[in-house]
Amino acid sequence: MNLPLLTLIVFLPLFGAAAVALLGNARAGVGRITAVAVAVVDLALVAWVTVRFDVSTGMQFVEKAVWVPQAGITYHLALDGMSLAMVALSALLTVLAIVASWKTEKNPALWFSMLLLLEVGMNGVFLAMDFVLFYVFWELVLVPMYFLIATWGGPRRQYAAVKFFLYTLFGSVFMLVGIIALYLQTGTFDILEMVGAGLDPKFQWWVFAAFFLGFAVKVPVFPLHTWLPDAHVEAPTAASVLLAGILLKMGSYGFLRISLPILPDAAHQWSTFIAALAAISIVYGAAVAFAQTDMKKLVAYSSVSHMGFVMLGIASMTPEGLNGAVAVMFSHGVVTGMLFFLVGMVYERTHTRMIAEVSGLSSKVPVAGGLLAFASFASLGLPGLSGFVGEFLSLLGAWASDIPVGWVVVSAIGVLLAAAYMLWLVQRVVLGSPSPAVDHITDLSRREVLVLVPLVVLTFVVGIYWDSLLRFTDPAVQSILVMMGGA
Amino acid sequence: MSMGYVLLIPLLPALAFAVLAPMPRTVRTRLVPLAVGAVLGSLALSVAAFLAVWPGGHVGEPTWQGAVTIAHVGDRALSLGLALEPVSAIMLLVVAVVGAAVQVYSLGYMHREERIGWYYAALSLFTAAMLALVLSDNFLGLFMAWEVMGLCSYLLIGFWHEQEAPRLASIKAFLTTKVGDLGFMLALAVVYAEVGAFDFATVLHHDWSAGTATLVALLMLFGAMGKSAQFPLHVWLPDAMAGPTPASALIHAATMVAAGVFLVVRALPIFEASGVALTITLWVGLVTALLAGLLAMVQHDIKKVLAYSTISQLGFMFIALGAGGSTAALYHLVTHAYFKSLLFLGAGVIIHAAHTQDMREMGGLAKKLPVTSLAFASGSLALAGIVPFSGFWSKDEILTVLLHEHQYAAFGIALLAAFITAFYVARLWFRVFTAPTQQVGLHEGHRSMLAPMAVLAAITAVVGFFGPTLGEFLGHEIPWPALGTAAISTAAAVAGIAFGWWVYGRTTSVVNTQAIKQRFPHAYGVLTNKYYFDLTYGYFVVGGYTALARGLATFDGSIVDGVVNGAARLWRSLASVGWLFDGRVIDGAVNGAASAVRAAGARMRTLQTGSVRGYQTLVAGAVVLLVIWILVKGA
Repeated sequence: MNLPLLTLIVFLPLFGAAAVALLGNARAGVGRITAVAVAVVDLALVAWVTVRFDVSTGMQFVEKAVWVPQAGITYHLALDGMSLAMVALSALLTVLAIVASWKTEKNPALWFSMLLLLEVGMNGVFLAMDFVLFYVFWELVLVPMYFLIATWGGPRRQYAAVKFFLYTLFGSVFMLVGIIALYLQTGTFDILEMVGAGLDPKFQWWVFAAFFLGFAVKVPVFPLHTWLPDAHVEAPTAASVLLAGILLKMGSYGFLRISLPILPDAAHQWSTFIAALAAISIVYGAAVAFAQTDMKKLVAYSSVSHMGFVMLGIASMTPEGLNGAVAVMFSHGVVTGMLFFLVGMVYERTHTRMIAEVSGLSSKVPVAGGLLAFASFASLGLPGLSGFVGEFLSLLGAWASDIPVGWVVVSAIGVLLAAAYMLWLVQRVVLGSPSPAVDHITDLSRREVLVLVPLVVLTFVVGIYWDSLLRFTDPAVQSILVMMGGA
Repeated sequence: MSMGYVLLIPLLPALAFAVLAPMPRTVRTRLVPLAVGAVLGSLALSVAAFLAVWPGGHVGEPTWQGAVTIAHVGDRALSLGLALEPVSAIMLLVVAVVGAAVQVYSLGYMHREERIGWYYAALSLFTAAMLALVLSDNFLGLFMAWEVMGLCSYLLIGFWHEQEAPRLASIKAFLTTKVGDLGFMLALAVVYAEVGAFDFATVLHHDWSAGTATLVALLMLFGAMGKSAQFPLHVWLPDAMAGPTPASALIHAATMVAAGVFLVVRALPIFEASGVALTITLWVGLVTALLAGLLAMVQHDIKKVLAYSTISQLGFMFIALGAGGSTAALYHLVTHAYFKSLLFLGAGVIIHAAHTQDMREMGGLAKKLPVTSLAFASGSLALAGIVPFSGFWSKDEILTVLLHEHQYAAFGIALLAAFITAFYVARLWFRVFTAPTQQVGLHEGHRSMLAPMAVLAAITAVVGFFGPTLGEFLGHEIPWPALGTAAISTAAAVAGIAFGWWVYGRTTSVVNTQAIKQRFPHAYGVLTNKYYFDLTYGYFVVGGYTALARGLATFDGSIVDGVVNGAARLWRSLASVGWLFDGRVIDGAVNGAASAVRAAGARMRTLQTGSVRGYQTLVAGAVVLLVIWILVKGA
């Protein structure tokens, strides 16, 4: 039996979305059970792929079909360890997002179908190996995320949603130009076939620039990041989790899947520039996070800082750096997901996200406070937890690469600054005596703990046994480096 | 014989943490005996492990070794390994003995605390990390354990987090040591780029060029200075005294703060390949030993005296390292761990009895606390360097090394620091134990607190006699002290004590600090303000960074985002004014997506109230059609 597993993983949530929408708000109870069932089955399919995944080879589970032969467009899905890590994260966070927003009262049918529709786009981006398909999924992601923010968001949700939509659309228009340019040069839309096309370095430079704009907005890299804090502050919790956990990674994934292998000469030319922006993002994001008065904004800016480590690893173009980049992508999804869930859970109870109004969580609600402290330590890169793995490997790779030492040292300082803003948050919110807003709240429910436990476990597993993640990512990284021509 | 049990030494307390930490408070409290049992188990296994290595073990030839590969990157593998050899065997005994003593002692000291279970959980994790650190056979594992200890230190300093002082002290400690850790982490990056591995054997036998060796050594030294509270990164340790006293004894006196010294002991061949790094280490130690000793002279808080004393004594260890005497440094580390933890535990009893940490409010405790005062005497004499107590032997060894290396200036400074040490020890002793009684109704500590102190006091009294044995074990001769050096160091110590007695001890002279202050106003001001380090750091580093961060946040909102919003506004107004093109066309083309989705959003808001069903049918229908189309096209 040869099931088209990847197609199922991508499109199963589409049927789920349709079913949930059809059931409507009148039968929202059945709808959300359908939603979680579909998402769990999807996660199970990813698990099944993981079990059958062969770490000794690269691309596998290839599904290829003619789509528009006249234009060289194929329906091409495949995955390597890097795609697998991202799809696994996407499938897991979708399940958790559905469970976490179980009690959504405002138009629940649309809410759950939008979450599932989002999963289609997210899974598709990481599995598509054809540019047209990739682009379709890339843009598809924008639509449900727009609705999630604009419908269920905070007071300034319209502004934030439009800004998110237009800013990323602005970036992806350039990406589309890059795709078309590549197509005109190579005559194919197949991402894997374009590798080693021997493109002219000057041409590469311009295409790299186009893709850079598309991907860098998504990551986001300083100074293209200002849509992120607005989107996060206005977005509902589950949307924030998926936005930070998955959508940002689409940008860095693009660098790893497309820019580096297809445009290796340009990548080398651009590496110092990217490293500089990475280092600035790390320190700048950390400093601005330190000054925030809103918990969610603090976590949002911390994402800018952490994604800087992804870009640093990518710019190093070393095995350590690229593995580190993917490890940060994965860990940031887990840990920041945890942080956004917790901030949301605290907000639901206290009705404020202002740091000054929340204190003493650990004495009043020890489970929530303890987990928030735990997530904070994971986020600041404590060894033994997942955050350390990627940041450490990125730094090792960056030091061993051609990146000027100064940028590496600046990046390393980001580790200290991360400790500063995270501990300063813990200091004010978790510790101390309970503030009035905290005085009468209840601790996490069993459902909420259930949402967080898988993330806690992953944080430990990846942090202690790095190979649990690297055994998948390293072969992918090695093949990227081979595609780049040795190294 | 299977030596796999060595693995259990760090694992037992780690498991105790893993069991305790996730439990609710009441369950944790009931599980405290489990934590104590775990550390006692580690102690028993540590003794067994020590006896398996001693006698006959050789440095660099592990009696037992075990490793697990945690990461593969390309053809390189990163492993975490443990190795049992003489250095780790000796350190195991130190950590396990002090760790067990502190945990037993805490049963009495902390029994009224509501969150005693959490205290024991953190203490267990710390003990596990420290045991793993001393057993680690590579720099990566050492670093990871090192960071986990930093976490535990943070948790225990801030144990009483409802109060502001412990809260601020904990974050200060974590961040200040983290400054040093950046050095350590970058050192690892250099080592990896240069050697491609982290295990001691490979890294230390690497053919280091002087330049790279200096870079690595100085970065590591910076890390060690943070952890071991050397000037100018010492500021966190005195504040760390806001934590529970037994935790101070274990973490901020005996073990964790010595980890910096231990790191340099491990990495000494790189320091030697550098040369320059050794000299810098020596002077860091000298400056710290002297300046911290001076500060200990003016403190009134008994724990602060001991804290500055710890910084100063760690300085002595760096002095030894800087002179290339790793065995002397290790020797002093061992004796100091026992006698300083003893002093802290004694201080705990004193604080419980006197209900104050201010020595000016104490006095006459020798009669009220006979057992404690006896134990405290053993520790004090060791710290002052009086024969035959342990500190005498190890300090003498450091002085001997300095003479042997012809470091005469260093020898002089170290001797001065030794004199100051004896002085502040005497000051503490006479104020607390013999000054006229001011308080009544004091009581001696509980037996569970006195027993561990008795054990440590006994060790302190006799361990010095094993110096030559220790030297033989470590492969470096530790001779019995030469009469000349011993006489000089004893003279310094006795003079210090005598001077202390003259100022603080005579019945006729109850000291008037006011008089001293008036006599030396400038010097006194410099010392009571701790050389203005805290003020400077607070103003420039913390204040500067806070201002910078706020400035950047404003910049981010007004400039970076302002450009984005401005561009959008400009685009819109260009379009609507119809300057260059037809406004409608521009608006339609550029903001098409925006208006479309906005319209859809507006539609949806009305849909919520009304024809939800119809809309959803529409969406579902479109989705199904799309899927069918994809399937048809894709097949």
